Amino acid sequence: MQPLANVTPLKPPPRAGAIEVRNVGQVFRTKSQDVVALEDVSLDIKPGRFVVLVGPSGCGKSTLLMMMAGLRAQTSGTITVNGAPIPQPDPNRVGVVFQEASLFPWLTAEDNVEFPLALRGVAKAERRAKAQDALKLVGLEGFGKRHPHELSGGMKQRVSIARGLVQDPPVLLMDEPFAALDEQTRMTMGDELLRIWAATGKTVVFVTHSLTEAVYLADEVIVMSPRPGRIVDQLQVNLPRPRTYEMLSGDAFGALRDRIWRHIRKSA
Amino acid sequence: MQATLTIKLARVAIVIAIFALWEMLSRTGLVNPRLLPSASDTLMTLGDLLQRSSVRTDLLVTATEVLTAFAIAVPMGALIGFLIAENRYFADVAKPLLFFAFSIPKSIFLPMFILVFGVGFAQKVGFGFFSTIFIVIMSTTTAVESVKVEHLTVARSYGATRAQTAFRVYLPSMLPVLLEALRISMIFNLTGVILAEMYASRDGIGHQIATWGENFQMKQLLAGVVMVAAIAMTFNELIRWVETRCSHWRT
Amino acid sequence: MSAKTLRHLIVAGLLVLWELLPRTGLIPELFLPSLSSTLLAGWNEAAEYGHALAVTLYEVAVSMAFACGGGILLGAIVGSLPRPRLLIMPMVSSLYAVPLVILYPVFTVWLGIGSESKIAFASIYGFLPTMLATAAGIQTIDPQLLLAARSMGATLSQRLVRVIIPAAIPTVLSGLRIGGALVIVGVVVSEMLISSAGIGYLISRYRTILDSPHVFAGVLLVLFMAIAFNTAIRWIERKAAIWQTGTRAGQSAADEVGSGAMQPAT
Repeated sequence: MQPLANVTPLKPPPRAGAIEVRNVGQVFRTKSQDVVALEDVSLDIKPGRFVVLVGPSGCGKSTLLMMMAGLRAQTSGTITVNGAPIPQPDPNRVGVVFQEASLFPWLTAEDNVEFPLALRGVAKAERRAKAQDALKLVGLEGFGKRHPHELSGGMKQRVSIARGLVQDPPVLLMDEPFAALDEQTRMTMGDELLRIWAATGKTVVFVTHSLTEAVYLADEVIVMSPRPGRIVDQLQVNLPRPRTYEMLSGDAFGALRDRIWRHIRKSA
Repeated sequence: MQATLTIKLARVAIVIAIFALWEMLSRTGLVNPRLLPSASDTLMTLGDLLQRSSVRTDLLVTATEVLTAFAIAVPMGALIGFLIAENRYFADVAKPLLFFAFSIPKSIFLPMFILVFGVGFAQKVGFGFFSTIFIVIMSTTTAVESVKVEHLTVARSYGATRAQTAFRVYLPSMLPVLLEALRISMIFNLTGVILAEMYASRDGIGHQIATWGENFQMKQLLAGVVMVAAIAMTFNELIRWVETRCSHWRT
Repeated sequence: MSAKTLRHLIVAGLLVLWELLPRTGLIPELFLPSLSSTLLAGWNEAAEYGHALAVTLYEVAVSMAFACGGGILLGAIVGSLPRPRLLIMPMVSSLYAVPLVILYPVFTVWLGIGSESKIAFASIYGFLPTMLATAAGIQTIDPQLLLAARSMGATLSQRLVRVIIPAAIPTVLSGLRIGGALVIVGVVVSEMLISSAGIGYLISRYRTILDSPHVFAGVLLVLFMAIAFNTAIRWIERKAAIWQTGTRAGQSAADEVGSGAMQPAT
């Protein structure tokens, strides 16, 4: 683990954490017609960046994320993570955090975090140590013995993030992780995520519906349009870090959010 | 649409395959035809049986018993269930007791009904009633509880009268659950009456089936089984069809 | 008065009435023998009841192995494959409407009136709910859990052992509870109908000679058996599924299974 630093993360090894998306297309074939979910999507994500995908429902942003995770195959084009294609999930390269708590309800928080290690047959003591580190990182020290139903929504998502980080992958993919949380918890979790990101220097790709969340968190916002899903804009968010609540009401923030909203309204 | 048609065809094919297998096993002598008369023989026997006035009388007796028990158990159970669901305190008292009564096997009490009512119409109706009432109470309570508080609040805030609330909120919300309850109650009721007839009786289709069994009349026995199964399934599908028709507002 | 106190009073009152009503002659002893004479009848013939219980328990155990083993296996297959599920599930629940007791005479013709016919009948009786519950349990597993496991690189067998089986346990257990109850009912009912041994047989024999206390003693014994089984499985359910409140899908499936849709008919 790297020391807490909120300006620039330490330089990771070259290419580790880089994601390249080249001319990716996805077509769903149904009986009656072919639905083009993604069309000619190209994207370069530099290591250590915080990139947010936004767009209206059905624009394929989650689909794209699933492809980066190796959970779904694209119809055409290539995707590389760390410079190599990702034909199936590879938890050493990519950790995934899902919407709602995709935690296993029958396991305790620490068993949930250990789960990916248990799959690889990592020894119990080592597993426990790593899980404790990850739980500490997300601010859940001492909650390891609880079952998910004994945790609040925000805490559950912290466990999910710890699970995504436990194998120390260079990339963390997050599919609307805070969608089920209330507004206040959501803001807190955003700050927490930025803190964790700064502390670990991971590349984060984050899918959301919330424009405010997008601008608040991102180095870069990718705006997508639906049917067929393609990239319509790429915004650099040059607001200083650490981000603060006061920035939300600033002009720079408002301008960025308006620009995204105009794209989304156009395609809706 | 096409997929569902394929599935329906596949289901028909499975049923035909089962009958074909049955026919083959018996015809080829793999299974002693005396123990398993062929499907075609059984169906022919079924046709014969339906012509016989004695069998028709038996069916009529069973139907009367089933309907009488049903006609007593359903309104009574619905009333009790409604009262329980409407009163919090009463519900707290009665629910665990009912749940217990519901989960214990009813059939072992059948001898009691014979001791009390003898062997006749009253015993069957009584036992059919006893087999059915608890499930009716339970499902009515569930149905009342399935009415959403939000909907009631909305109705109240727009000034709905009691009658309006009953007809416009309670009834439509409860209807799907009630129909399901009706279907399951009928299954319980039919099982109860048939068992009572098989156990000790002078008439009714259950009694006939038991008698055919005791006399090793396999053809008649199997025909009877097919007949009762067909009747039960038809009724079941009928209610299910109505259920799907009015399930569009069920959430 | 709290609801619980009143409930206990009601139960106590019923037990007292059970003793008093027959004693005072308000209800003939033939219809309802008093609690004490029932217990006494059971105590006096303890050896006979014990022997019958052994026969019944043996039949129950064997049928339970068939019904639950087959039900869980087939339910798991049907529940996890979408095509067979669409194909078979409606047929199975339609079959559920048939009063299966009409099959018992068929089994007596085929297998005689010994234990075999009871075991065959009770196995089939308990099979359907176990299978339906298992299929429902597998079906309601949150797809997100499977996706999450896959994203962590879980192989197919790892997903089966670490996700599908633990997620299905609560529903399967409630299926077992109902299937097991039906197996008990199936064995006792078939013993009552045509048989030469077992508690059901005792009940029927004493019924024909109008010996009410002995009939009731048998009924009580079966009742205790059913309650003991139910309590045991509920205890396991609580132990094995403390997390159950966590999955709404699993919970609602368990509710559905528990609340009538798959309850023992008689």
